[in-house]
Amino acid sequence: MSTVEEARLMLLGWNLRLTDEAVRQRVAFDTDEVREALRQITGQGLLSEGVIVATCHRSEIYGLFEGGRGREDLTRFFAEWRGLAPAELSRTSFLAEGAEAARHLFRVAAGLDSMALGETEVLGQVRRALMLARESGTTRTILHRLFESALACGKRVRSETEIAVHPLSIASIALELAGKVFGDFSEKTVLVLGAGETGTQFAEQASEAGVRHVIVSNRTSERAEALARRVKGGVIPWEEFPIQLARADLVVGTTSSSEPIVWRNDVEEAMRRRRGRPMFFLDLAMPHDVDPSVKEVYNVFCYALNDLEEVASENRIRRAREIPIAEAIVEEDLSKFLGWMGNLSVVPTINEWRLRWSAQRDAELARQPEAERERLKEFADALFGRLLHEPMRRLKSERDPGKKLERLEAIRHLFDLDEE
Amino acid sequence: MGSHLLGWVAVLLYLAAEVLAIVSLRRPKATVDLAGAVCLATGLAVHFGDLQLRARALGSVPYRTLEGSVSLFGWMLGIAYLALWIRHRERAMGAFLIPIVVVSSAIGMLLPAHVAPATPQTRGALFAFHVTFAILAYAAFTFSFVLSILYLIQNRQIRRKQTGLLFSRLPALEVIARMNRTAVSIGLSVLVLALAIGVVRAQRLWGSLVDPKIEWALVTLILYALLLWLDRRGWRGTRVAALSILGFGVVLFSYTVVNMYFSTAHNFR
Repeated sequence: MSTVEEARLMLLGWNLRLTDEAVRQRVAFDTDEVREALRQITGQGLLSEGVIVATCHRSEIYGLFEGGRGREDLTRFFAEWRGLAPAELSRTSFLAEGAEAARHLFRVAAGLDSMALGETEVLGQVRRALMLARESGTTRTILHRLFESALACGKRVRSETEIAVHPLSIASIALELAGKVFGDFSEKTVLVLGAGETGTQFAEQASEAGVRHVIVSNRTSERAEALARRVKGGVIPWEEFPIQLARADLVVGTTSSSEPIVWRNDVEEAMRRRRGRPMFFLDLAMPHDVDPSVKEVYNVFCYALNDLEEVASENRIRRAREIPIAEAIVEEDLSKFLGWMGNLSVVPTINEWRLRWSAQRDAELARQPEAERERLKEFADALFGRLLHEPMRRLKSERDPGKKLERLEAIRHLFDLDEE
Repeated sequence: MGSHLLGWVAVLLYLAAEVLAIVSLRRPKATVDLAGAVCLATGLAVHFGDLQLRARALGSVPYRTLEGSVSLFGWMLGIAYLALWIRHRERAMGAFLIPIVVVSSAIGMLLPAHVAPATPQTRGALFAFHVTFAILAYAAFTFSFVLSILYLIQNRQIRRKQTGLLFSRLPALEVIARMNRTAVSIGLSVLVLALAIGVVRAQRLWGSLVDPKIEWALVTLILYALLLWLDRRGWRGTRVAALSILGFGVVLFSYTVVNMYFSTAHNFR
């Protein structure tokens, strides 16, 4: 119906989990590379607006292009820039246009495209991508609106569904369980046995979760002290931890010891000193750090790694149950965005503009004497034609699709065309 | 006595509060919570009106009859929960506690009414305090009973790693235990007062202490005192919860069987 080329959204992306190592290194972007790529893409006129979402799992280039060549040009550009054969590049990439491209971003923001379904970090990553593009001056009305809508949709999905409610990581599941024993964590003490990778991760996550007292005990005290400094905690000498067990509400075993290091006798003694206040043991070590019989001590809660993995897989199922609701929200928000964007094409906008004009003209004519109406109508039409001629010509000949859409948006706004 | 129109309106309002509490348990929402609290508060106000009418009809405090005392018991339980809700916004309990309020308020109206005139035994400020304290103690122990059930449920959920709806809605074990301790302490204090007043009055009226009700009140007292002591000695947790449930059994027994069949001064005749 229109000879005018419409600007279209496009997406060129790589799922880094599915690409092999050699390609992954080429298509992964750090912050500086994102800036550089944005500068080049828009500088060379491949895209009129661009945003790059680069995380450890994905590299995705969102842009606005006009005409049929956008995708080939873009692929060629990347192949040359990153030193890859175009065939190799297009074999590992995926392309989407229009509604599909927008839908992909909405799903990414909603956490529906993440390994950990519904995870919330991706929202921050999408926001950072938008910020970076704005700083580089490569995003204006359209992509800005696209990204803001996707972010709003992502937030909505997380507040209206339980997709992000049930924790998936071992540490957060453990803290959730312990939270239902102790209530408030801030006055509780966590004792971390072992200052290796797991111990460090847990100590950090616990202090992030609001645990104020973290104590570390490790066979080599230097490492314990280093970790304690990082989480602003204390240290107990390795030999003393069984005696000082009573100080801890939550004990986490993460050592590589070949036999248990927490024994029933020590726990019973600790419980006596604690006057029965509950203790929570978390055994993240393989083989176990906590003797199995510790579980039998009254008011002691004891979980091993595989217990928590069970919960994690249940929670994955719980989150998955929310997918249909989340997808429905995505579609709803997406159609709002697409409706807005769909209005931004030249011919319909001009037609609506004419319609609006002729309605106003007729209203005005009705107030004029009957005899003069025909003549005034001709005059008004001629005047409107004149008035519209130059703006129309400029609008149609605008080569930059982003600018074209922006101007259409301005017309729709100034003449109130979206208001019905 | 009239038809208890106000009382039934109160029961309907309590039922509405219960429905809202269940809704809020499934999907927490501040507005639903507030609506529930408003229903409960209005119910309590209307219920108070009913108690006033009873008092006027009897020409004395409304609870010298069995039906009046059960009704007052439900009312006090409701007041206690409302206070908890206002102070701690604790909503998970409501769904479990309000049914007891509903049932006892309804029983208070379904029981045949006694219209016996007030006797010297059932008159005076001391009598009023005695019964009020005793019923308050029962309400506190009922609270403790519900908390203990919730404790056992939550404990089971945590141990079985069932992190579902109840797990997420019920408070943490230590929080439930703390509330339970408070409930038992209050119950114990007012029971001591009720018992002391009762003993003084028994001496004065009959010159003797041969009412089995006194013995059962002592059993209740000792049991809950033991509970608090053991709680400090390391029994905190499921054992204390079990003791509290046992204590509630004793309370029920002494409120019903003992009153009706053994006691002469507490049979509401």
